[in-house]
Amino acid sequence: MVKTKLLLATIFMGGTVFAQGPAPEAPPAPGSPPGNQAGSSVDLSVKQRPTLTPADMVNQSKEYFTGMGGVVKRIQTLQDQAKREKDIIRLNCVTDKLVQARVNVNIAEQSMATMQESIARNDEGEQTHEFTRLTIVNQKVTVLGAEAENCIGEDLSFVGATRVDVEVDPNIPQYDPTQPGSPFIDITRPPSASPID
Amino acid sequence: MNRRFALLIGLGALLAGRIAYAQEATIGYAGLPSKSTGESNTGIQIADGVLLHAGFGVEAGYDTNVFYSPTNTIGSSIFRFMPYAELTNATRTGPVSRELSFDVHAGVQYRHYGNSVVSNAGYADAWNPNAGLSLSLGGAQFGLGIADVFARVEEAPYANNVGTGGVPPTGVGIERNNNQASIEGRWSPGGGRLTTILRFTNMVNIYDQNSLQSYAFANAMTNTLMLDVAWKWLPKTAIFLNVSQSFVDYLNDAAATMNQLASSYPLYVTTGLRGLLTEKTAAVLTLGYVNAFYSDGTSTSGFLGSTYLDLAFTVRPTQLSRVAVGYRHDFINAVISNFAYEETVYASYVQQIAGRLALDLSGRYAYLSYQGETGDPTQQGRVDNYFQIGATLDYFLRNWAYLGVGYSLLDNRSNKPNDEYLKQQVFARLGVTY
Repeated sequence: MVKTKLLLATIFMGGTVFAQGPAPEAPPAPGSPPGNQAGSSVDLSVKQRPTLTPADMVNQSKEYFTGMGGVVKRIQTLQDQAKREKDIIRLNCVTDKLVQARVNVNIAEQSMATMQESIARNDEGEQTHEFTRLTIVNQKVTVLGAEAENCIGEDLSFVGATRVDVEVDPNIPQYDPTQPGSPFIDITRPPSASPID
Repeated sequence: MNRRFALLIGLGALLAGRIAYAQEATIGYAGLPSKSTGESNTGIQIADGVLLHAGFGVEAGYDTNVFYSPTNTIGSSIFRFMPYAELTNATRTGPVSRELSFDVHAGVQYRHYGNSVVSNAGYADAWNPNAGLSLSLGGAQFGLGIADVFARVEEAPYANNVGTGGVPPTGVGIERNNNQASIEGRWSPGGGRLTTILRFTNMVNIYDQNSLQSYAFANAMTNTLMLDVAWKWLPKTAIFLNVSQSFVDYLNDAAATMNQLASSYPLYVTTGLRGLLTEKTAAVLTLGYVNAFYSDGTSTSGFLGSTYLDLAFTVRPTQLSRVAVGYRHDFINAVISNFAYEETVYASYVQQIAGRLALDLSGRYAYLSYQGETGDPTQQGRVDNYFQIGATLDYFLRNWAYLGVGYSLLDNRSNKPNDEYLKQQVFARLGVTY
């Protein structure tokens, strides 16, 4: 009995030892450069170099512009629709989105110009910066387009002032038939008579 | 109300002859209007809140029996022309003020018979002026109304009693001047369910003293005080109680007495229902007690003589048509005796066709049983069965101008053969009511 228990305990302990991995390395001392870590194979630095060529950036930016133009057109359509429906609540909302979208498109145009200049100068950092800006602006315009679409639902949440519409059957006379008739002048022709004078 | 219907049933029929009013319908030939239809898109704006309406009507046709004769009837061409003008404070968009409204109108009807027999007897031409004004003040709870209407009617006389060969002697026309003034106060406390109207009416009826056949002996003044209390149990339907006390005084007592006419103090106490029964059906159902209280001679009596009954129904089958039917049991003050019991049934049908044509058909039958002593003993126990038919068909060139044709029939069947007559008139007519 005692031998059996000893055997089981030995097996469990051995298993535990084998299951443990290698011991973690000690953290580097403060101030020591990462590259000096002996045996490190992971690159944790932020990549600043774009994977796109300048030509790809320009092409991608043009696609951004096409998309942003479509979004602005769509918001304008929503604005016209709101005007036609005289929905002031929705119109205000859509107009606000449209103004913001146009401002962002202007920013994108500036970035595009700057990026093209930097490509001409072969300034890789500037190219990357402006392209990143363009990407962000494009995302903002896309979000504004979605928000403009959501303006449709805003009037549903606005109850407005209480209005009572009364429909009166056109057959019902407009005058008050409960009033007694006005006295009318009696000019009925008198019957024939042979008066006595 | 449709403007064409309004035109047809307007007040303008005053001078057209014997017109009976049933609620809003005109029974008998609807003659030329003497005032505008009340529409605000016609008229000339002469000041802020003042519209001037003007118009005229022309009728030309034929009258088969100018002198209401039972035999030897004299027919003649007939021409009537009636210009009018009216001032109101309505604007293009409706009344300028709910607190104040006024209406002033005046017109004159010229009538001409073309037959030389008629003109030789002196009845070719007649001028019949009319005028009226009304003023209403107040709001929803309190109101005051003042009105006055004047009309002079000059008609060819009867030829049955004094004429020879169907032509009465010269200068015995029926020339009548009638003025009616009224003032009323209105009170509708709270939400307006209860409405009280107190009205005083003064009517003066004067016949010209022009001949042996003059009716001047029947000149009279009638003062009436009326109290009407109505309770609306629906917005357009009310039950009411109406009490009316009149004072009829003949202005020439001696002549009136000689012709068996006595002053009277008619009292009406009636109750019933006024207003809509359904969306398309309106009714006036009135039942009550009446007593003429003649100061001398025969007066109303018995169950029927003390009962007043008025049943009037107006149905609008479509928005372009209207049917009115009614029955009334009443008494009327008469000129050949104190009074006559009157049973009346009537019907009216108005139809607008294709937005341009307006058809108006109406008819009335009245049973008149004269009671008591008569000035002329030969008229004792007289009973008249009076039939009346009117028809017009108008084509509206504009909403203020129309061309049309008209027909009128007056037929009196009496137990006194001399008082029977059949009179028919046909007209072509043109009207402008701007």
